[in-house]
Amino acid sequence: MIWEVFRQENAGDYHEHCGNVHAPDREMALMFAEVQHARRKPTNSLWVAPQPEIGEVDTEDAKFGGTTDKSYRWASTYDFEAAASEVADSTNEQVEAERRRKAQQDKQEAQGGD
Amino acid sequence: MDIEEVKRRAGPREFSPKDDMPEEYRKAATRMIQFHANSEIMGAYLERPFIREAPSLDRKLACSAKVQDEIGHGQLLYRAAESLGMKSRDQMLDELAEGKGKFLNCFHYPMSDWVETPMIAFFVDGAAMRRQATLKRTSWEPYAHAMDKVCFEEGFHVKHGEAILHELMTGSKAEQEATQEAFEEWWPRIIQFFGPTNDKSTHHGFASEVGLKQMGNDELRNAFLNAYIPKAEKYGLEIPDEPRIRKNDDGTYEVVEEDLDWDEFFTIAKNDYEGSIQQIDGRKAAQDAVEWVREVMDEHEQRAMGASKQQAAD
Repeated sequence: MIWEVFRQENAGDYHEHCGNVHAPDREMALMFAEVQHARRKPTNSLWVAPQPEIGEVDTEDAKFGGTTDKSYRWASTYDFEAAASEVADSTNEQVEAERRRKAQQDKQEAQGGD
Repeated sequence: MDIEEVKRRAGPREFSPKDDMPEEYRKAATRMIQFHANSEIMGAYLERPFIREAPSLDRKLACSAKVQDEIGHGQLLYRAAESLGMKSRDQMLDELAEGKGKFLNCFHYPMSDWVETPMIAFFVDGAAMRRQATLKRTSWEPYAHAMDKVCFEEGFHVKHGEAILHELMTGSKAEQEATQEAFEEWWPRIIQFFGPTNDKSTHHGFASEVGLKQMGNDELRNAFLNAYIPKAEKYGLEIPDEPRIRKNDDGTYEVVEEDLDWDEFFTIAKNDYEGSIQQIDGRKAAQDAVEWVREVMDEHEQRAMGASKQQAAD
């Protein structure tokens, strides 16, 4: 069976997908993951999950963020100086996320046009 | 792990479900996160009628997105609370319906007019966000992870609230006066959002010793007042004379505690206020009305699980 591997670099971080291993059971999957994915990269924790157990939806099936104008959902739409630093932080995170989402959409559209 | 070790190690995102945490920590964290989750849900219910009341399509869409976000935050937080192994999400939702679940003081007051919406969406959400930003460094990792997403989304709520306030305060004279009136009614409640001063708060000591709470009530209240009083004044709101708020030379504020109605605050804390019962029952009615959806989902889960078990046995 193929097991997907998720590595957490430091305590408190998120576990991020980093690859997979082929192993007959969970115990060996963890052992292989340790050797293949955590030998050199800094690691605090590893998760393994059987590949067939993982569900996926991607840009072929879904329009992430919808197809209509949802600018009302973004802090940057409301043009006021942030009342406090945490409001500014949140706005900046949203601006960055939206910029990347748009860039990705443009890229997909360009590819679709070939 | 014993309490002494917990206190020694207590740092940002230090503990996770695989750590063997003492019951005292798990109880305190459950109480805190459940309170937070309940507040998200009750806040959403308070604002829900204003999706219909909103004066324009833009506002309607934004209010609807906001209510959706807040319900999502509640769910996220119940999961974080569940990870402490003390209570299940269902149990916590039932406690809320039975009037046993506690939640923020501001969400116990009925809201009847559109001019009140920025009191919640700008001031209360601003106060909540101040607190939530500090909780990104809480010691319970799943709670901190929930805060990452909550804080990401919350900026929109506060700014949308500010947009409504700006619109009302640059509107007709009647709108400005009604907004000022609403502000005067809500202002003492907003000040009480941060609870009594540190030495009077029952749970503060332990929660900060074990790193669950990152900042005391007084510091949070100060930071909030420093940021939001100038904003209120900028939009032409007059800060009421009571509660008396003294600005110290070092930029901090002192609120004269006896100017606030603490009897009402503690009645609310016990869910005994008239509004408490109204809000709790209103949400329970909504929960009961969609009971059938949960039942159908549960049945489907049972069938799906049964089928996959059979498959695995083949």
